[in-house]
Amino acid sequence: MSTRAVYEISDRYIEPGKADGLLYEPVEGGLTYRKTRRYELEYSGDETAMSEFVKSTLFDEVSQEFHEGEEAALEGAAFILDYGMKPGALDLEKEAIVNFYEGMSEPGFELEELKIRQRIYVFGGGADQSDRFVRDICNAAIHNWSVIHV
Amino acid sequence: MEERPCAILLKFPGTNCDAETARALETVGFEARIVPVSDLTINTLEDAALVVLSGGFSYGDYVKSGRLAKLVTQQKIADALREFRDNGGFLLGICNGFQILTELDLLPEASLVENTSGRYQCQWVTLENKAPESPFLSQLPETFEFPIAHAEGRLVTKTEEDAKALVENGFAALTYADPVNGSFQQIAALQDETGHVFGLMPHPERFLYKTDHYDPDWESDDKWGSGYYLFRSLYDSIS
Repeated sequence: MSTRAVYEISDRYIEPGKADGLLYEPVEGGLTYRKTRRYELEYSGDETAMSEFVKSTLFDEVSQEFHEGEEAALEGAAFILDYGMKPGALDLEKEAIVNFYEGMSEPGFELEELKIRQRIYVFGGGADQSDRFVRDICNAAIHNWSVIHV
Repeated sequence: MEERPCAILLKFPGTNCDAETARALETVGFEARIVPVSDLTINTLEDAALVVLSGGFSYGDYVKSGRLAKLVTQQKIADALREFRDNGGFLLGICNGFQILTELDLLPEASLVENTSGRYQCQWVTLENKAPESPFLSQLPETFEFPIAHAEGRLVTKTEEDAKALVENGFAALTYADPVNGSFQQIAALQDETGHVFGLMPHPERFLYKTDHYDPDWESDDKWGSGYYLFRSLYDSIS
C-alpha cells in the first residue's frame, strides 16, 4: 500500500524579490515574491529511509528550510502560483532524482510517484493580479498550474 | 621525455570554462584531460594527480547551482573522490566547480546562494590571501586581483559564527577585500583540513597572462597574470 508525503523547501537567506522582475510589465502595488520547491511523493516501505533520501538529495541544510506536510510553507502571501511540468514534458530535476534513486543499491523504500512543483508566493495588497503572473510565468505547452488564494 | 602530472577536468552538460582551464593547466606543465561526465568511471581517476571541476552552469544551474551535478557525481564516483583525496590527490573547484564541491561535502560546511544584489555579477575583484601556505596559493602575494562571474556566489553558513570560525581556523583561504556579493565574512574560497581540496568563486584561468588584465598599463614584471601563479603553485606542489 502506498503512502503520500509532501515536502516543501524554501531558501533561508534570500530576501523577497520585486515581483516586477518576474513579469514583462510592472505590476501595481509594489508586490514582492519568494520561491519554493514542493515535492509530492508516493512510496511504499520504510518512512525513515524515504525521509533520509529526500533530505540528502533535495535539501541543503545550510541555506534552505525544510517543511513537511500539505500546509503552505510561507505565511502572509496574497496568493500562491503553484506550477510544474506536465506529465511527459522533460523535467531534468525529476530525471536526475529518479536516476539517483534507481542507482541506489538498497534504498529501503519504493518510490512509486514523484511530482515536483514550484511555488511563487506573492506578497502585497491591492487588486488580484494573479492572471498576470500566470500569463508571464507559465507556459501552457509544458506546464500545468493553479493559483491558490490565501 | 619528462612525465607530466595528469589533471582530469570533469565536464558536465553546461560546463563552459573547461577549455581555458585546461589551457592554464597545460601552460604550467600539467597534462590536462577533459572527461565528459557520461564517460566518468572510478577508473578515470587512476592516473590523475588533480581533479578539476571547472566553471560554467552545469545542468543550466537548474534547481540550485551544482545540485544536479552533485547527484550525478555522487552516483558515479563520490566515494572514489574521497579515496582520491585521502591518497594524496588534489581537487580544485572553480566557480560552479566550487558550488559542486560544497554540495558534495568535500569542503567545510557552507553553501553558495544568490548574490545579495539578486543579479549575475561579472567584474574584477581584489582578493586577500589568507592561506599563503596553501599548495594552491603559495606563489601568490597578500593581495591580488581575479575576475568573478556568477549569480550564486554568496557564501553562507548556518550562522555568521560558523563563517567566523571558517576564517579563524584557516578554512577561508581567500576573502574579498570589498563586500562584493554578500558572502559571510567576505569569503571567496575555502580549503579543507588536508589543504588538498580547494574551491574558489573567482576565475584564475581568465587571468593567465598580464594582457588579460582590464588595465593595459597594469604593472607586472613578467608576462604572467595572477591566475598563472595559482596553477603554478599547484604544479610545483605536486611535482
